[in-house]
Amino acid sequence: MSWAQAILLARGLSRGWGGICGAALMGPPFSQVSLQVPRGLHCSAAAHSSDLWLVPPPPPPPRGPTRALAPHEELFRQASDGARDKANFVQAVQAFGQHNVHKRGHVDFIYLALRKMREYGVERDLAVYNLLLDVFPKEVFRPRSIFQSIFIHYPRQQECGIAVLEQMESHGLMPNKETEFLLIQIFGRKSYPMLKFVRMKLWFSRFKNINPFPVPRDLPQDPVDLATLGLRHIEPNLSARVTVYQMPSSRDSEGAADAPEPHIVGIQTPDQQAALARHNPARPIFVEGPFSLWLRDKCVYYHILRADLLPPEEREVAEIPEEWNLYYPMQLDLDYGRSAWDDYEFDIHKVEEGPIFAICMAGAHNQATLAKWIQGLQETNPALAQIPVVFRLAGSTGELLATSSGLEEPPPPPPEGQEEEEDNQPRQQQGQS
Amino acid sequence: MALVHKFLSGTYIFRKCLKPSVASCPVLGTRFADYCSSSLQKPVAAPGKNSSQRNTEGDLQGHHQREVALDITSPGEKPEFSFDKAIKDEIKDHCRRLKDDIVNYWRGPEGRPLHEVLMEQAKVVWQFRGKEDLDKWIVTSDKTIGGRSEVFLKMGKNNQSALLYGTLSSEAPKDGESGRSGYCAMISRIPRGPFERKRSYDWSQFNTLYLRVRGDGRPWMVNIREDTDLIQRKNQMYSYFMFTRGGPYWQEVKIPFSKFFFSNQGRIRDAQYQLLLDKISSVGFTLADKVDGPFFLEIDFIGVFTDPAHTEEFAYENSPELNPRLFK
Repeated sequence: MSWAQAILLARGLSRGWGGICGAALMGPPFSQVSLQVPRGLHCSAAAHSSDLWLVPPPPPPPRGPTRALAPHEELFRQASDGARDKANFVQAVQAFGQHNVHKRGHVDFIYLALRKMREYGVERDLAVYNLLLDVFPKEVFRPRSIFQSIFIHYPRQQECGIAVLEQMESHGLMPNKETEFLLIQIFGRKSYPMLKFVRMKLWFSRFKNINPFPVPRDLPQDPVDLATLGLRHIEPNLSARVTVYQMPSSRDSEGAADAPEPHIVGIQTPDQQAALARHNPARPIFVEGPFSLWLRDKCVYYHILRADLLPPEEREVAEIPEEWNLYYPMQLDLDYGRSAWDDYEFDIHKVEEGPIFAICMAGAHNQATLAKWIQGLQETNPALAQIPVVFRLAGSTGELLATSSGLEEPPPPPPEGQEEEEDNQPRQQQGQS
Repeated sequence: MALVHKFLSGTYIFRKCLKPSVASCPVLGTRFADYCSSSLQKPVAAPGKNSSQRNTEGDLQGHHQREVALDITSPGEKPEFSFDKAIKDEIKDHCRRLKDDIVNYWRGPEGRPLHEVLMEQAKVVWQFRGKEDLDKWIVTSDKTIGGRSEVFLKMGKNNQSALLYGTLSSEAPKDGESGRSGYCAMISRIPRGPFERKRSYDWSQFNTLYLRVRGDGRPWMVNIREDTDLIQRKNQMYSYFMFTRGGPYWQEVKIPFSKFFFSNQGRIRDAQYQLLLDKISSVGFTLADKVDGPFFLEIDFIGVFTDPAHTEEFAYENSPELNPRLFK
């Protein structure tokens, strides 16, 4: 070909390469240059005769956020004009594939997409992870000779694959057959992402059901349902009864209502009911709280109604009369000596605390709400009317307060709230539901 | 005089004076954060990274272990500064411990008669009935690597239990290499004999770990470390999960030792072997469940016992896919 054509072609080629070298030196205009590179190679060279092909284009003035934009971030920007949801995310991921036939920069794009997943709310969606793994070009990174398999073949891509799997793992997702097929297609069977996949399958299936107190993954949004779930979670006795003492009132219905009524849900077992009926009215009972309970990632607060431990002299042992059961004795007083190798008891006095009579979860943690709970409890426990109730509401460090009133606790570290007595002015405390 | 010189150059703690340097934990990195505090209640030192389960190759994403010591100031008595008196007290204390050690050797293992030790089925190892029981534990959080979690340990109410509380924050420290963060841990100190010799626990006749705790519903991880005579063992530990129920009732957690899985440098390894109980050096609790917020854990006591119904030796078998060398 003629020398003019050769020079113009060389100009176009070197401008393309110069663009890449220039991009290696400075970050922001990379997206611009990558757009220009295909033009330089595929379009006619005559169009670029006026461009300065020795000097790389000046960087654009920084616009908007001071953080430098990651490459391909504009794909997410244009897709998310509306809501940030799965459809937009999938659209952005697919736009990358259409935009770039050779999928240049797919590693950076996948890292960026992994970071953006949380904004779009798709971090717990396995199909999206499979779609993201689909971005990798297939069959290119598989090792073909023994030397390639000895040395880590395409290490950045393998790290990227491992990063995808690691994010899946940190959200507790189990990969499926599609993931396995994709990984084999992309990296081969002996690669590190495939190894991680095998380990995930093994350890996840081993640890799937080890939680003796499982909490459902989708927690109910309704506060009353959440409170019921939480109360049933902490009360091991299955014969306990959950009562809703007050439903939350909607804020916009009656404008005259001065304060929105919080929900009050309580739980009590029949044993606790019987113990409360037997309780001596001379001794006060305490409402303590709020204590925190974590259900997966939601924190709810509960209060308890309890009494102090009786001193040993006042404790009475319930005597079962002889005639209660005529078929076999209820109490055996045999004195078989058990030698040391049968003794499975620990040589320590376990911490003893006073009996708990009821537990409740309420929307607000102030005395007025809890007083309503006590009133509701009085319907099923008429003995409660005679027993003095002392409110001990503290901040939410979560520890139970001192039982005996004689002990003065040293000033605890912040945050710790105040103790209230029933006679004092009730102080409003912020509800933290 | 040579003995005193050895004390001065060694690394042991003046119980009532300032702490000069990091005590029992070895330092692998080069960072030393020395906060001189007025009194020494709970010195804080750092073990390795958080030990949530991970399955990747260690060499592709290498993690460094940096050990940094922090002192948390807490209200307590004022220190009495008398250098000579402190040295004399330490010498006397160590000599007394040496004498006890020699005498106990003739009496039986750990100073108790042999028949008592052989027939024992349940043993309380750590109890929390006084402040000196809290000194047997070290409390750590990811503040040592630059994170924002806080953790404190204090006696619970009526001096009947220990309360471990704090706030977890999974914000990663901005040091350019940590991707994730957010852990809090409570580790027991390695038992020491006279002259700070390392001792270990021998639990070979027990098969279950027993904990009486009251938590807030968060999942914890229990880690057991074996004796660190060999240098490779410093990063190895055996772990299992402890799920707390939450609520006002005390919870008994029984974890058989056969359920503990092996991990090295914070990652589960493919080759699993059972936990050998004859040289245990420390037990720890870790919280790293990626949920930000306050937490607490109240512990009554920790013990070991023999569960006669538990006959399993090891819960995890090695798979030929992951470890073909074991099956040759």
